[in-house]
This record gives sequence, structure tokens and C-alpha cells, in this order.
Amino acid sequence: MLLGCGGKPAMNKHRMNKELSSFAARLRETILVVSREGREASDVRNIPSHSSRASRDISERDFSELALKLFALQFANNPAYRKICEARGLTPEILEHWTQISAVPTSAFKELELSCIPPDERTAVFHSSGTTEQKPSRHFHNAGSLAVYESSLWASFAANLLTGMPNSGLASFQSDAVLADSEIGVPAARQIQFLALTPPSEQVPHSSLVHMFETVRQKMDGASVPASRAEFLGRLAADGSWTLDFDATLVALDDNSKLKAQNSKLLLGTAFSFVHLLDYLAENNLKFQLRENSRVMETGGYKSRSRSMPKPELHALITERLGVPPENIICEYGMSELSSQAYDSEIHHPSSILNPRIFRFPPWARVQIISPETGHEVADGGTGLIRVFDLANVFSVAAIQTEDLGIRRGDGFELIGRAQLAEPRGCSLMSYSALRTLHSALK
Amino acid sequence: MNLPNYFLADLPPEATLSPAMITEACQTLKRNREHYLAGRSTDSLVKILDEVAESWLQPHNSFRKLALELGPEKAGFSRAILAKGLDNFFRQLTRDNFHSLLQQEFGDARRLDKFVATSTEEKTNRSAMAVGPEFIVHIAAGNIPNPTLTSIVFGLLTRSAQFVKCASGSSFLPRMFAHSLYDADPKLGACLEIAEWRGGNAGLESALFTEADCVTATGSDETLLAIRAQLPIKTRFLGYGHRVSFGFVAAEVLHGSRAKKIVAAAADDVVAWNQLGCLSPHVIYVEVGGDVSPENFAELLADELERREQTEPRGELPAEHAAVIASRRGIYEVRAAHSPETTQHWCSKNSTAWTVVYEADARFQMSCLNRFIYVKAVSDLTAALHGADEIRGKVSTVGISAPEEKINEIATQLARWGATRVCPLGQMQNPPLTWRHDGRPPLGDLVTWADWET
Repeated sequence: MLLGCGGKPAMNKHRMNKELSSFAARLRETILVVSREGREASDVRNIPSHSSRASRDISERDFSELALKLFALQFANNPAYRKICEARGLTPEILEHWTQISAVPTSAFKELELSCIPPDERTAVFHSSGTTEQKPSRHFHNAGSLAVYESSLWASFAANLLTGMPNSGLASFQSDAVLADSEIGVPAARQIQFLALTPPSEQVPHSSLVHMFETVRQKMDGASVPASRAEFLGRLAADGSWTLDFDATLVALDDNSKLKAQNSKLLLGTAFSFVHLLDYLAENNLKFQLRENSRVMETGGYKSRSRSMPKPELHALITERLGVPPENIICEYGMSELSSQAYDSEIHHPSSILNPRIFRFPPWARVQIISPETGHEVADGGTGLIRVFDLANVFSVAAIQTEDLGIRRGDGFELIGRAQLAEPRGCSLMSYSALRTLHSALK
Repeated sequence: MNLPNYFLADLPPEATLSPAMITEACQTLKRNREHYLAGRSTDSLVKILDEVAESWLQPHNSFRKLALELGPEKAGFSRAILAKGLDNFFRQLTRDNFHSLLQQEFGDARRLDKFVATSTEEKTNRSAMAVGPEFIVHIAAGNIPNPTLTSIVFGLLTRSAQFVKCASGSSFLPRMFAHSLYDADPKLGACLEIAEWRGGNAGLESALFTEADCVTATGSDETLLAIRAQLPIKTRFLGYGHRVSFGFVAAEVLHGSRAKKIVAAAADDVVAWNQLGCLSPHVIYVEVGGDVSPENFAELLADELERREQTEPRGELPAEHAAVIASRRGIYEVRAAHSPETTQHWCSKNSTAWTVVYEADARFQMSCLNRFIYVKAVSDLTAALHGADEIRGKVSTVGISAPEEKINEIATQLARWGATRVCPLGQMQNPPLTWRHDGRPPLGDLVTWADWET
């Protein structure tokens, strides 16, 4: 019997992969269409495409249909995921709505290979960031899944970071040509200078964030132009931590340098890399006034890689030291386990204490805020764990339960942050600092 | 019932403490101690403490009522948990227990009153008395109230003025106790101060430490180091670092109705103070080979915790703590789906009220507490201690359930390994008054001896 099964699984595998690939192709098309429609709508109403539910362009019904279809494919093709679903008694035939789809905790990506891509076809893997002694999450990719990731990230990035940027260069961002994963129409983009405070992707091939930045850079510079050290200002230290090349950063930020044209800047980085930069600028008593319309995108927590700082304070320092006004500082929320990102659309809705930053995912991903007590979605204004249904996670798992807390705000959420010590990790928990964290958390 | 503003912790939340206020409070305490406490006899102090404790055990006692009424909101424990925890504490404060404590610590219960010679000392023409510090500062951790209340009681016995600095949000129950002392004996109450602020306030703490003869502190090793670094050399420092505890159940006792009782005892330890004390178990090690397997034990414990939730509910948790439990459950759910032979888990429905995780892996695991307990299978105690190697030296209590003939051997093995307290399962969070905290003499560490050779 065993021998007789010889050829069949491979054929099935092939067929399943084909179905996933065609789902991926269809989704990329949807992303393109939705982005174009959203953009046109925002042109008319002069608001960004994803800032309100009204502009959501995938209906609840369509989303549910896509999500259930994807769930069935992932159930069939992702054995590690299927086991979890079966233990919960959640199988494709009994589900009726996307909210019923089984979400896997991000921690499961540390222990299991949650992928529909057979091991020998995986060409890239993204790891969660974190301290080195922990096992990282692993999100496997191949060319097809990277293409979806890139379509998704670029459409969101362009909508949230680049819309509304004046001058002729921006026309290209609003043209389908750029959004259509094409390199056509790129030259005008050079009027915006791309700067990332991370190491370049060849130094950190497992960072999904840097892959995102590199994708954005290629869209702006042209894929054939290699990244320069003047664009990725971070460096990888011997211990694996990310540092900044301060000399290169100062040159890059300085518009008076003869080497630089006067242009608006797009400065991207993690919160801790901004703290490193701001601390350095403060120590050396340096301030910059980036050209009008320059924008900053910051993302992620600190994970002990710098002192941590509340976001309003970080943003105030960015404004003070770099001359970028709060409305041009955009926060991103993403993770290696996802293929879509949420943005807080700050450009158009300056926040205040009364008006906190609200994150929203693009239309092909939806979020639920789940009560940790009951496991059900909280009411508007309630606090809970962020759960994301990301259709762009075609080849892994679309429904991801994060360990981050958020407050439900309409179709978006306010980010609170990581639930501490969610991962039991043996010896590292035994460190004094872990005991302290635990006990101070209990106070 | 409205409480008068006797203590700094009674001030409204908007009141800001200043170093000058702290200094003044310390000096007042010392003056009052000189007038009202230094000359008191041990008997009179024991009498007052015994009476106050007895009154706390009365259902209509106004302090008790207030503590139970406001406690759920102010201290974060359900009424049932508060009542049980406080009752267990106050039941310990009896004349007999005080006598035993004094006898244990000083060899003679009168040593704090006068020079006394034991029979051995008589032979060498010596006598001795113990003298308490003039002024003790307690830096209290916030998780559960009993250690703080115990510190206050011990400081009274040594006739010391006391300033109790509570962690933010944790002064309510110490305040209630202090008010009850004040009510019973205002002169004693005048030698006690209760205040609350977030630790690390250098101005306030420096003012406080300058005045202290003795500082006791409970907290992380970093906190203790930081406090010790600020103290003058003459100041005695008693630091109690955070400790963890676990249970051990031998296979021989896991049969029939005895097994049920043991499961109930384990539940007592998990439920007491919602598992938040250093004496609460993170893990129960269960020996394989009994009628009840470790997996069955875990399942029975889950059933018992579900019953307890009806009678002694855990109470509400802030979202961030519930999120930690929910996220951890997620990890074990995934593991259980993939390797049910090595991991299983049981959870309260529609709440995070209790969680039991069974693991075949004997490695000790820190719980996220609030009734989240690990049950781990081991071949014997040696295997359990091997699994707990990473916490060696940081273990306070081991609660055991084992056959009579093996208990002595188990206790000795645990003591040599480094555990400082062995007790029956079910009593982990209920140490006697004579308990040697972290293996140190409770009163002996506070006093200074005076020897008299004749």
C-alpha cells in the first residue's frame, strides 16, 4: 500500500501549490485594484485611501469568501496548522465566516514550521526580532509568497507614506505603473531621498522589516540600482545587534552637504534606532531641519536594545532634532509573521491625548481585538489582544493571534504593546531581571 | 466607617510627599517610641497583639469588614481570598505562638525585657539580653500583605519605631492593620508610620534611610542591591530577595481518597493569595507509578480549581495580566495539539480564572501566576531537583505529600539541596509565626545582644 501511494502525494502537492499560487495571483490583482480605487476615492475626497471604513474596498462578504477559501487551502497544505485546527475542532467545512477561522499564536512560529511551502521550495525565511537567546519565529517564503508580501507592503506603504507628497515626483507614486510592481515611472521618485536606519538587507536577510525597506527602495530607485551605504545607515555589530553609522547618517541628513541635492527625505527606522540617533544628536548638540514634506516612519518596540521611550516623547524629540512635524511622523505596526502592515495615518489625522494614534490595516487584512479573558472580540473602546487576518499570508497562516495589546477603535486599534513575559522560556526566565520583571508586573 | 488621617498613606492621592515630611515623620516616630514603646514589657505587647488579632477574626470587627469590603478593589483579591488569607495570618498571633517564637529566637521569652541566663549560661556566670533597633524601615513588596503585617508585628516586639514603605498600590491592607493597632493602643500606633510610593524615589528614600538603624526590604536582587548601596555602614540591612516555591507528591500516597485530599491540598496552595506570594507553588512535581498518574493528577487539579472558582473566585485581572495568561495558554494549546503525550492543558471557560498545564518535561517552569499551575511528571525527588536546578538557591518552600516513612529522607534531601522550608502540601502559603524567612532567624536578625559576665 505504501509503495502504491508513490506518485500521488507529489501530484496533490503540485495541485495544491497551484491553487495557492493562483490565490496569490488573484490577491495581488485585488490589492492592485483596491489600491487604485482607494487612491481615486482619496483624490476626490482629498483624504487618504485607508483612513476610514468608508473607503474599504473589499466588502465583508468578499473578504469572508476569500478568507474561507484561503483557510481551506491552508488547512489542506499546512500540516502544522491543520493539527491545531483539528484539536480545536475547526475544519473548513463547518466555518461560515472569516471571524471563525482558527488563529495561531505568533509563539507557534517559534516551535512549528507553519508553512504551506515544502521545505525544499523555501527560498527565504524571516525571523522575529528579539534577544538572541530566544528561539525566533520563522516565516518561510518562496518567490510566490515574497511577491505577495511585496505587493501588499508597497501598496500600503505608498498609500500611507507617499500620498499627498507634493512636487512632480509624487505623480509617479500615484500612478498605477509604480503600484503595479513595475519599475516604469520611477525616475521622478528620486526627488524623495530614501533613508533607512537599519542595516542593508544583505546583512540582515532574515529581517522582514528590512526586506520591506529594500522593496520600497527598489520601487523608488529602480530595482536595478543597488542599495548604497548612504541609504541604509544601520550596521550589524559583531554581537548581532543593530547600530548606526553616525557619520554616514549625519552626511545623509545634512542638506547643506555639497553632495546632496535639496530634497525631501523619507526616514525609516525602528523606534530603538531613532532613540540611538536622537541620543547621539543630543550628545553632540546637533539639530537638523529636514526639508518640508520630509517624512518619518517608526516601528516596533525596544526589546532592550535602547532605553525605551513613550511614543509621544519619541515623536517630540524627532520633531525637535530633525525638524519633522508630528503630522509627518507615521507609525507602522508589523511583524515577521504577517505580510501586511498597519499604519496610523498620522499625516492626515494629527494625534493628541484626546485623539490617539489609530492603526489600520489595508483592506486585505482585518483586525479583531480579542478579550484575553473570554476569547471573544471586545466592544468598541475595549482592551484586548490584537488578532490579524491577513490574506497576504497566502503560504503560511492568515489568522495570527499576536501577543500585543490594543484598544478597539472603530475599524482600527490603538496600540498598547506587548503582553510581558508571554513566552515561558526556561532558563532565561530564571535570570534576576526576569524575576524582577515578573514581580514588578505583579505589583 | 471613615478612617482618620493617622498615617501618610491616609492622605489623599493628590498629596505629594516631600523629603522634609519624611524626616519629620521619622523624628516623631523616634520620639514617640522613646515615650511610649521603649519601656513596654513583652507581655503587654503580646497581650495587645493577641487582642488585636482576635478582634480581626470576629465577623463584625469594623477593620475586618472594611478590609473585606474595599479589599477587592484596593488590593485586587476577591473577598473570599482576602478573608481566608487574613484569617490564616491572624490565627497565628496568639500568646502561645508568641511565646514559642521568643523562646525559639532567644532561648528564653524574657530576653527582650531583661538580662536572663539560660542554664548553660548560668554555669559560666553569664547572662544576656536582646535589644531591638530604635528605628526600623521596611521596604515592602506589593504582591501579598502577610509579609508586611508580620514585619510590623516583629518590629513591635523589638520595641522599634517603624516606617513601612509600601509599593505603589499596596498599602491598603497594612494601613487597615495599622489603624486597628492605633485603635487598640494609640500610643503603639503612634510609633508606626505607613506610606506608599513607587520605589526608586531617591529624595524620599534618602531622607528615610538616613534615619534608620535597620532596614528590611523585600524585592528583586537589583532592588536589594540598590537599597543596600545607599545605607550607611552602621545601618543593619535585612534583604529578602524574591523566592520561588514548588510542590512534590510521592507516588505511594496517590491512591483512593487520599489522592483526592492531596489534590485539594494542592488547590489550596494555588488558590491562596491567587498564587502571588513567594511561598506559592509554580510547579507541582508528581511522581510516576502511583494509582493516579501525573496527567490524572493534573486533570483532577483542574476539576478542583474549577470548583474553587465557585467558592473562592480569583477575582478580576487587569487586561495586561490576563493577556499574559491568554498568550501562555496559546503556547500550550499548540504544544498539546502537536504532542499530547508530553503536553496537556486545562483552562477555565470564558475566563483566565485558572489554568493547569501538564508537562512530561521535568524542567522547572516559572508560572505567570494568578492560578496558573504546572504539573510535571518525575521519576523521583532527585529527578525533580534535577529539573529545578536552575532555581537552586532561590527556592523558599517545598510543599510535600509523601508516605510517613519517606518524609524524613525527603526533607533532609531538600534541605541539603537548598530549600529553606519544607511543609505539607496545602500549607505552603500559611507559614507559622516561627517560620525562619529565607532560613534566617525572624527576630534574631533584628536585635543586638548584650552579654553580661559576672
